[in-house]
Amino acid sequence: MRKILLPKGAIGIFSFSVCIIFLGFFHRSDASSTNTHPCTAITGFYQETTVRQDTVNQPINEEDSTANDTTVQISTTDYENSFSHSTDSRMADTVSIQVIDRQPYISLQQMLKGNAAGVYVQETSGEPGTMQNMFIRGASNPLLDIKGLYNAQPAVYLNGIPLVQDNPFAFDIQKYDFNRIGPAINYLASISPEEIKSIEIIKDPAMLALLGPVAANGAIWITTKNAHSGYRSISINSYVGFAAKPVVDPVNAAFENNFRKPFYDKYATQEEKLRYPAYLRDSTNTDYYGPSNWTDLYYKNVPIYYVDLSLTGGSDRANFRFLVNNSKTNGTADGTAINRYGASFFINMLPLKWLTASAMVNANKLVRDRNRSIRDRLAELRYIPDLSNPLAPNKDVYGNYLDEFDNVIDENQTNAAHGYFKINAALKNFQFNSSISFDYNEGIRDVFWPTTLLDGINFVSNYFGYNQRFIVSNTAEYTLKAGPAHQFKFTGGQVLQEDIYKYDYAFAYNGPNNFIKINIHDPTPTVITNPLSSAQYTPYVFPDKEQNRLASYYFKTQYTYDNILNLSALIRSDGSSNQQPDHRWLLSYAFSADWDVRQSLMQSSGFANELSLHASWAKTGVMVNDDRFAVGPQYKVDMGWPDEPTLGSYDGIAGLSRPYTSGWVGYNIPWEYTNKLDIGLNLGLFQNRLRTAIDFYSNDDKNQLLPVPVASEWGYSSAYESGMWTNNTGVDLNLAADIVKNPSGFSWTFTANASHNQNTLKALPGGLKEIVIGDRKLEVNKSIDSYWLLQNQGIYNTNGEVPTNPQTNQPMTYNGVVLQAGDPKWKDVNGDYTINNADKTLTGHFMPQFYGGFGSNLAYKAWTFDFNFSFVAGRDALNQYASSRLDFINNEDNNSISSVKEIWFWSKRMNLSQYPMYNPWSSAVPYQADQDLFLQNASYLKLQSASLGYDLSGTRLFTRGDKKLFNRFLVYLSAANLFTISPFKVDNPELINYNGIYDGYGLPIPTTVIFGVKIDL
Amino acid sequence: MYYPKKIKKVFLPLISLCMGLLVLCLSCNKTLDVPSTRVAGEPQHWTTLDDVRSGLIGVYGLFRAALASDNAFWLWGDLRGGDFSSFSRPDLKAIIESNLNASYPVIQNITDWRRFYAVINACNMFIERSDSALQDKRYTELNHTVDIAQVRALRAFAYFFMVRIWGDVPLITQSHDGTFEDMPRTSQEKVLSFCESELRAAAQDLPYVYGANDPQQPGPYYGYDYSTFSNTLITKLAAYALLAHVAAWQGHYYDVAVYTKFIMDNYQKEGLQYSTIDQLTNADGIFADRNPNQLIGFNFLKSNGEATSSGHIEQLTLGAPLISKPYPDIYVSKDSIISAFPGSDGNDERFGIDTISGLSRTAYFTNYSGEIPIFSKIKVINGGTQEPDFAVFTSAIIFTRLEELTLLRAEALAVLQQRTEAIQLLNIIKSNRGIRPYVEGDPRDLVTEIFNERRRELMGEGWRWYDLIRYNKIKRNNPSFNALIDQGGIYWPIAQDILGRNHLLVQNSYWAGK
Repeated sequence: MRKILLPKGAIGIFSFSVCIIFLGFFHRSDASSTNTHPCTAITGFYQETTVRQDTVNQPINEEDSTANDTTVQISTTDYENSFSHSTDSRMADTVSIQVIDRQPYISLQQMLKGNAAGVYVQETSGEPGTMQNMFIRGASNPLLDIKGLYNAQPAVYLNGIPLVQDNPFAFDIQKYDFNRIGPAINYLASISPEEIKSIEIIKDPAMLALLGPVAANGAIWITTKNAHSGYRSISINSYVGFAAKPVVDPVNAAFENNFRKPFYDKYATQEEKLRYPAYLRDSTNTDYYGPSNWTDLYYKNVPIYYVDLSLTGGSDRANFRFLVNNSKTNGTADGTAINRYGASFFINMLPLKWLTASAMVNANKLVRDRNRSIRDRLAELRYIPDLSNPLAPNKDVYGNYLDEFDNVIDENQTNAAHGYFKINAALKNFQFNSSISFDYNEGIRDVFWPTTLLDGINFVSNYFGYNQRFIVSNTAEYTLKAGPAHQFKFTGGQVLQEDIYKYDYAFAYNGPNNFIKINIHDPTPTVITNPLSSAQYTPYVFPDKEQNRLASYYFKTQYTYDNILNLSALIRSDGSSNQQPDHRWLLSYAFSADWDVRQSLMQSSGFANELSLHASWAKTGVMVNDDRFAVGPQYKVDMGWPDEPTLGSYDGIAGLSRPYTSGWVGYNIPWEYTNKLDIGLNLGLFQNRLRTAIDFYSNDDKNQLLPVPVASEWGYSSAYESGMWTNNTGVDLNLAADIVKNPSGFSWTFTANASHNQNTLKALPGGLKEIVIGDRKLEVNKSIDSYWLLQNQGIYNTNGEVPTNPQTNQPMTYNGVVLQAGDPKWKDVNGDYTINNADKTLTGHFMPQFYGGFGSNLAYKAWTFDFNFSFVAGRDALNQYASSRLDFINNEDNNSISSVKEIWFWSKRMNLSQYPMYNPWSSAVPYQADQDLFLQNASYLKLQSASLGYDLSGTRLFTRGDKKLFNRFLVYLSAANLFTISPFKVDNPELINYNGIYDGYGLPIPTTVIFGVKIDL
Repeated sequence: MYYPKKIKKVFLPLISLCMGLLVLCLSCNKTLDVPSTRVAGEPQHWTTLDDVRSGLIGVYGLFRAALASDNAFWLWGDLRGGDFSSFSRPDLKAIIESNLNASYPVIQNITDWRRFYAVINACNMFIERSDSALQDKRYTELNHTVDIAQVRALRAFAYFFMVRIWGDVPLITQSHDGTFEDMPRTSQEKVLSFCESELRAAAQDLPYVYGANDPQQPGPYYGYDYSTFSNTLITKLAAYALLAHVAAWQGHYYDVAVYTKFIMDNYQKEGLQYSTIDQLTNADGIFADRNPNQLIGFNFLKSNGEATSSGHIEQLTLGAPLISKPYPDIYVSKDSIISAFPGSDGNDERFGIDTISGLSRTAYFTNYSGEIPIFSKIKVINGGTQEPDFAVFTSAIIFTRLEELTLLRAEALAVLQQRTEAIQLLNIIKSNRGIRPYVEGDPRDLVTEIFNERRRELMGEGWRWYDLIRYNKIKRNNPSFNALIDQGGIYWPIAQDILGRNHLLVQNSYWAGK
């Protein structure tokens, strides 16, 4: 056993740590590498080293060596230096992310789905380029609304630049929150998988603390392929393929008629029968009763393609990389597509031996063809025309409708650019890094809908918005070798980050005709001189802008003992302009420790090839993304009501009042912060052929702001109070096994990741035990992702079955409505013979309790075959689709946004007769969605991807003697989204909204098959 | 233990680094002061004329929202016991049938009184804080007096409106900014007497007209002249009209007579006129835009982007052919029309059937001969463009106009047995609408006939349910209605959400037992 020499302080910390927890310290089996920071020791887990952050799990591809040069000193002076990310550890992390780069993935979320422990991805629609959601180690807030969803998203770093995401403040002027105004393009669809060298999921508390408040929800660290020296190399990657249309069961009005008839026969009064919907009334109407073949026009097999070209080269003192790419991904439904054009340029220079300068510019253009759903159109229109006659299921009629889209303008585009300029000065033990980086993305949307689509009125809207992030950062690092085995490293850093979110949005109704498609906002309309003047349209203009700044300072000390022990402590101070002046700064800390157990205790024993323990704890501030909380008591325009949220004047004069609708904001709002704890173990057995990493975590998000309902007699709908505390606890597990290992012959590696997550509400503001916000209830010590539902126990077939309160002789009521035959039998939980909110219980979970993925990589000589599954379990969905289909009386008569029937109304998604036949006219609203009747298990197992590849570069065709003409000439055939097994039969269980509601609006996620080549010259 | 000497070398740079960071931190505080462009903070507010103006307009805007949200003004006033039937909406049917516990979102929304309390809180804030704007030389004491009077009148109006709907409500007259303590309900007598004293005080300070050189408000008002305001803002007569209604609600008809006398003597000063049937029912009539006849009303100006699809009775009552929606949500059934407009009255211009030709005169209705008559008395579609395709409306919510006050005075005088003048006032309305005058000796009861006239004249203006209450309080000849009055069933239930937020509140006893 090896003798350990430790300084006093380290012994103290060490023994302390051992006493409390069975934790230890991290170590790398590769002793030659100079691992410096425990938190940054991200190594290729699947390359027989340990892992702290899960790299997207992929077995190493031995052929893929050219693209990732390791020789040049300057290519390693990396971008992330500014965050004091040590980079040497990442050198080994040149993972070929084979599962990803052989699939037609267009968004980062798709790449991560099922491929990384602890990451839960929601792809709520298969429409290319739309928003998708990610959660690392659970949701930090109860996702009460779409802003909560935005606030729970992790930070994504591209080459060290934290990308700026859309700000949800635009929802303030929206009547409906189905989509954000503007192009609503997923900002993470701009990264091509071919470009990515590695993706790491940063979950380690101490490392997140180093990244600061931006990364409070976890971080995804993307490193792209960079410039490197060497003889110039050219790469060409391309694929072509198609997405297959889904199998749909179309129906016509006869089906709907047969479905409704029994309800009318059983429950309708004569008068109600007379109100039978017009489109169902006439069975000779071939528009509705004719053949239902709309699917021919709606769903299509569509092509997809991708191509890129990159050039890399240069000398040791100056090198570069240049890349262009283009891809087009069509959706199988409703003519949707996304088209991406990208270009990037990297340059590294070494003007002096000790000075490195590097720069990157990466620009993308994304053009999206949106779906044509009526709901989304009306949501933007904010006006509901008469909806009593739905689209007809007949191809001819529907085709005429689609022809009208020739006159539509619906252009959606996002342009994004990000880049950095960095210098690194390395002087003996002292290192200085300085960088300027920016991320800018702008969204543009122009819309014109003619009168033919909107029941006689036309509509024009224009959106231009941008998000801009600008970061200046400096770090200074001093390394102190205090003896042969002891090393200290001191790092001080400063970051100033400025975000600007801005949009200008204008829309106008009712123009003169369908030829004038321009809305000119002209404050002094002159109809005669300018026929396009706004006098002809009714215009509405909404500009908005928000700016916030974050200033951070940190100091980190790190101690390493001979690669066995690694301790670090961090202290940082963050100031945010979104905090009130007297709570502007937050002081926070992080500690971490890694211990290589094998090397220090059992080097001679043959038990394991690797055994290490690590523990990390950190407190980090959480960014508030709304500047109104910095203001305190405030005045704003609040003259509207839910149907008219943006009314801003009375009698033509602007008025202000307190924010009665959006909620009181007071003083003394402290920083929201998160305390994260992680304890983990890495184990390598059987010559490291079996490698596992297991991490337990507990994340406490404290001081969260919550709109707490207060007595209405003060005018406010709620008061924002600080003090919500949520906890996410769970386990992340990674496993990789080289079942057969024969470099020259057949090898088989099995990989798996699995996560368990459980959330709990620990406290509510002001010591409250429970609160009700909208349809949701939050209760202390219960989970934050539960539905609040009535318990359905069947149907009252006769009035006699309705229980009677023996004390009053009154029959059971639902909120005062006497229950009758045909009403649901809801469980009277509190036994007061009245069914109301007090009888609702918290049930189910819309966030999964278990999720992950597993797969295999098989290789034989130049052949490779991989497949990957993803799974989600312990998660439910509320089937609002079924509820609204069954509640046809209320939905149809209200002429509201919920009355909209899309073309897919004419398809059979599920058997609605499995539900009890209630009286749809009843005042108790028997088919209301908030009952467990509509709660369904939405777990699933999905074959995410499979790929077969063959490298032709070694074949006789592409060799001249011993010399290969190509470094790589890989051809592959891949398929994605092959099949799903789930108890949720209505639809693909992935197509469920972030809050667990299935409304049927998600477009299908298609099965795709592609054929691709990867050529490296 | 081995300690390297090098460590000492580190201390100095380390300390200087820390100091440097500290200095940077302090200088950074300024960088972090990013003023919001989205909201105005309290400290700088109430310091200029513009702050006060926007605060005052904000109160009006909040009041309009309280009445317009979910079309509550009509759902409260016109549906219960009224002339309207629901075409197919079950939620509206439940209201018409006084089934107010039913579980529909609309009913939950309109039994929520928060929006009125937002008005009240905004008024309290205004009363407490607007005087600090007097530091702005442009803001004069005189202007301030008029502003405070308006806001006090609006606060009293909000309380009166709530008392009519819910009975006892918590009386809150201070903003208690930032505290949200639970408050118990105050007896409606106390609330109404507060309203009365407030309105009386306000009436003293209010001008007859704004921006038209009224002695109490000389010169332009906030830089605008009379054309901007007409009677949009609360005027002296508006305060008297409210006083009259507060008194009438309590059965203090002597006071009603006094207050309405003041109105009858002075209405010309505010440009009020009796309207003809065309002015009443045309798209450019008294409901359109802003005009002096909207004595108390809340307008929606198309020219300023205030045209909305909700917040207007048209959203409930119009259907094809006036707008593209095939059927209205609510309509007046032919039976109700016939009973409200008996042919025996003569040729009522609002509605009548010509005894000779058999044709109907249907100023109030469209498509009378069809299955569902459309109640089209109020139909200001998109600023009067009347395009059927774009169903946004700009009709004002009118609380009271001259005809309403004339009939209120007639009602008071009839109760006070001053029949001659009562009949005279009633006949002004009758003759304006072309029907036979009521003559002394008519077998029909005078009070009943005045209320019948209100039913016809004010149909769709949010009065019917309150009129029924006043009528039955006077007459007490309908046992089932008497029971409603005695048990508090004339009031609406309070939304569960409101009760859950304030634990000192109790549900109205009539609904609690249901």
